[in-house]
Amino acid sequence: MAAESPTSVRKVVVHLRATGDAPILKQAKFKIPGTDKFAKVIDFLRRQLHRDTLFVYVNSAFSPNPDELVIDLYNNFGFDGKLVVNYACSMILTSYFHTSKGISLVVF
Amino acid sequence: MMDVFNWDGTVSAKDFRIGALSFAQKWESLNSAFPPWSWVPCPKHPWLASPEVDIDQNSQTDPGEEETSCSEKEDDIDDATLVQSNHHELHYCDFHIVYSYTFRVPVLYLRAYCSDGRPLLLDEIEKELPACSSKESPETKWAFITQEEHPYLKRPWYKLHPCGTSEFMKLLFLGGDTGQPKLEVVLELYLLSWFSAVGQVVGLRIPCKMLNDRR
Repeated sequence: MAAESPTSVRKVVVHLRATGDAPILKQAKFKIPGTDKFAKVIDFLRRQLHRDTLFVYVNSAFSPNPDELVIDLYNNFGFDGKLVVNYACSMILTSYFHTSKGISLVVF
Repeated sequence: MMDVFNWDGTVSAKDFRIGALSFAQKWESLNSAFPPWSWVPCPKHPWLASPEVDIDQNSQTDPGEEETSCSEKEDDIDDATLVQSNHHELHYCDFHIVYSYTFRVPVLYLRAYCSDGRPLLLDEIEKELPACSSKESPETKWAFITQEEHPYLKRPWYKLHPCGTSEFMKLLFLGGDTGQPKLEVVLELYLLSWFSAVGQVVGLRIPCKMLNDRR
């Protein structure tokens, strides 16, 4: 179940999990409105990690499209009250898609 | 039988075919906004000769064209149409998923062209793809997209180089925190998982329920 909030907007608990050699975040858990797109999670990750290229995926071997709604991802892949989002930024993955400007992000 | 813990992120040709057919089936039933995929067996490959895999022969496959290199690849074809209204011009994009015997992974090939048949160049294609056109990534360059001859059709296509594939496939299946999946599950979902990652770059998305549909 997503966390209930006083307003009618349900929030989803997201747990960001480092995999491979990705750095672990100090703030790895947060709540986000279910109506937000997954792009917001990616954006948060990018800012926290200061990385432009990340590989982001959920536990069922799926890399979500940034346009997916967080609530849909939670309903399909959430477990134990949260949505676990894994991230990695190994050399092979980041060189697979390189960006010519530091501000760009490829979520892949 | 190899266990998942030692899995290297690749699949055999046989498992590619099983995964491809399962992928095509799910796509057709759960992603019907897009054209369906059709399987094109290579005419020369001996164990693909059986009639049951002879589904929907793509009209472009001309047996008269076959050369020795053709026998090394197996195709999953999507004649997807990406329609972009660009100066009142329609652009089309074809996608093929071809098995690579060298890397033992699927490889995405794409080709885009105008309605008059003129092929689009890579930088024209890049402008239209979501990964490139969104505000977040205006300058994305693909380090590993190359132009080369399609293994079947002998015409220049663009291909997403498979060198990073086994790495991210291992992460997709083994990087989560829900324990080791069964190898059979991995193989069945392989194409879907692969495509969830690769498809985003070229603007083809699969709805998340396709991964969750265990039927």
